[in-house]
Amino acid sequence: MTAQEVRLCGLLLREHFGELVEKVGTHLLRSGAQNLRTLIHETGISLDLVKKSLCVLVQHGVCVFSAGRKGPGSPTEYLTSSDHILRILRYPRYIYTAKTLYGDTGELIIEELLQRGDMTMSSTVKTVADRLTQNMEDGHSMDYSEVSNAFSKLVETHFLQRCPPMAAAGKKESTTSATPATPGTPAVPVSTAPPSAESFPDCYRVPHVTLTGRGKRQLSSEDGEDQRNAKKARMDTETHGDEGIYWQVNFERFHLHFRDQAIISAVANKLGQTSSEIVRTMLRMSEVTTSPTATCTKPLSANEIFRSLPNSYSIARPILDQYLTLLVDDPMEFVGKAGESGGGMFVVNLHRALANLARATIESVVQERFGSRSARIFRLLLRKRHLEQKQVEDFAMIPAKEAKDMLYTLLSQNLVQLQEIPKTPDYAPSRTFYLYTVNQLPTARMLLQNCYKTVANLIERRLFETKDSKRLLEKSQRIEAILASLQASGAEPEQLSEVEEMITASEKQQLASLRLHINKLDSAENQVDETIFLLESYVNSTATAAS
Amino acid sequence: MAGRGRGRGRRLMTFSVEAVGINRGDSLPPSIQQPTPVYPVMEQKPLPLTGGEEAEYLLALKQEFRGAMKTLPSFIQPAAALRDVERYSDKYHSGEQNDALMDWTPDWKRFPKELRVRRPATDCVSAVSRSDRVQSSQKKKQVKEKEEVLLKLETLEKKEERGSSGEEEEEQGEEKKKKQEEEEADAEEEYDEEEFEEETDYIMSYFDNGEEFGGDSDENMDEAIY
Repeated sequence: MTAQEVRLCGLLLREHFGELVEKVGTHLLRSGAQNLRTLIHETGISLDLVKKSLCVLVQHGVCVFSAGRKGPGSPTEYLTSSDHILRILRYPRYIYTAKTLYGDTGELIIEELLQRGDMTMSSTVKTVADRLTQNMEDGHSMDYSEVSNAFSKLVETHFLQRCPPMAAAGKKESTTSATPATPGTPAVPVSTAPPSAESFPDCYRVPHVTLTGRGKRQLSSEDGEDQRNAKKARMDTETHGDEGIYWQVNFERFHLHFRDQAIISAVANKLGQTSSEIVRTMLRMSEVTTSPTATCTKPLSANEIFRSLPNSYSIARPILDQYLTLLVDDPMEFVGKAGESGGGMFVVNLHRALANLARATIESVVQERFGSRSARIFRLLLRKRHLEQKQVEDFAMIPAKEAKDMLYTLLSQNLVQLQEIPKTPDYAPSRTFYLYTVNQLPTARMLLQNCYKTVANLIERRLFETKDSKRLLEKSQRIEAILASLQASGAEPEQLSEVEEMITASEKQQLASLRLHINKLDSAENQVDETIFLLESYVNSTATAAS
Repeated sequence: MAGRGRGRGRRLMTFSVEAVGINRGDSLPPSIQQPTPVYPVMEQKPLPLTGGEEAEYLLALKQEFRGAMKTLPSFIQPAAALRDVERYSDKYHSGEQNDALMDWTPDWKRFPKELRVRRPATDCVSAVSRSDRVQSSQKKKQVKEKEEVLLKLETLEKKEERGSSGEEEEEQGEEKKKKQEEEEADAEEEYDEEEFEEETDYIMSYFDNGEEFGGDSDENMDEAIY
């Protein structure tokens, strides 16, 4: 948990859950697992507020609780990890992906689940149906069965999963009813690690839910009616057969999808549309057979690939073979050949693809920060591993003085390292080789931390801009509210223009430029998050490969 | 030791200068006496942001998501910001904000027992005197009685509209609701009408500071407004 990560997590918690949760969350991040008493004592917040914040954190999966380390009697401990919080940056991308794959219904399902943390299937279906009905024309409403279908499809493709059952975490009572015990839970209620969602055998099984009905349109008539609806909603205690089964978004599956998208678009950029279609087919065929941490997909024969190509891309068999050979020979090594049977067995090298994508990212960072000649030196060092100063100048074909300058700039930014190779055991400077080198993994980690710092700076700047112009924003909000109420009650255009003139022209300009700045900062955050995703996937893939 | 004779003055370094490429006569860059500037001048300007439909849609999604999270009960408001001057109407306004917090009752089976909050936290934050507590319990009884009256009126209305088939369900629902209310005593206080708060005879708009611009358009323009 680096300092940059903690700072970014704090800002994200503040924006989405309030300052109180930010305080509790950052304290937990910094100090590791703690129990409730210590937490209250160290943060100095009152008991009820701390409890509430912890409830919010647990609800959204940010914080996990487990039995204390000192044995069955000790108080429960709460542990936060920064991964969950950093994912908040990527929520818009998840929602957008659901929209492209499953339409508006899927989009709203994912959005609801992300906002609430976890929900039962029935409540999700109802809320989404209501929201969809709001936007439809009068007289139409959304049927629950359509929404349930979309939900089931999302579960089938593993984008949603059940929340793991709370197996006797910190309590002496038995586990909650209607859930089979996870295979890892021992008899003693102290489990060393909280059960993950995957260990639950039924985690992708849709429960049998009796849900019939249509979405309700929220009536915007008198207040009394709204109150009555609110009361009715609380009286609505019909059970739908899925009590206690909560669903959450399966982030890993989305990440696999993003990774596949990145590989396909890289192939499309480098080798053309047809090659990318071939790679897309290969990835689609191996979606279910590949584990998330696999180095490469299962081998696929050329015959299978030929049969599974989409109909719009009907290419002849020998042409397919040529494309596959091209893909294998490409230095980026996206596709590898694993054998000769069945017309040639081909695999997609996932980890190598990720490494190449990360390398391309780092190279482009160097290029944009220091110029194309420094980038040339950097790429040279990546390929040749260790080079002396003289060799760098020769290979890069850059005059000595400039090459020296560029190397020292890169060295001072820590993108390039010096490796000493002594000739004599006393490391005498005149008798030691000094070689420049680039290590891809530590460099990637360093850039990842830089990205976190960048996003944190962007968020802080945005908060500063909003705070600066708070008065102006409030005034404009009030004017909009007045305008809306006037229009709803059918006022004349003169009154409307009179109210509009309450904002002067210069204020309008200020507001417009403020809006522009905030939009720029927000979309910059989204873009930096794409880089974060690539670098994170690369770092995680090397971690699993090493272990 | 080796460098003592030669490197007298400024140029004494731990590594051999030739190997790294600093020849004699070259001027070293001036030594830095203070921290580097916070916003150094960039030689290369950064690339512009990618625009396009997808980026704009993602931007809209992000801003909507943030706005939606602020309205959810999981957004815990800190204690109401102290205003510059204490106003008399603060006493009557403080009850309004907390409704959103009470909407969310999580499934307590999935949380450890110690996190269960039985009473709302509203009382803890602001200084509560004993008299306030006594008054609030009295007020609760009043509120309950008045709510029962309201409920009866509503059920009568509904009976007229719907007929007997819906009646039984509603009665059962009412009983259930009353039980729920008794269990979650504090959580279910609903202030339907503003008149029932805090033994005042005035409606809440009496305590308006006038800070909100009342943009109500009067429909009846015939009568003169004084």
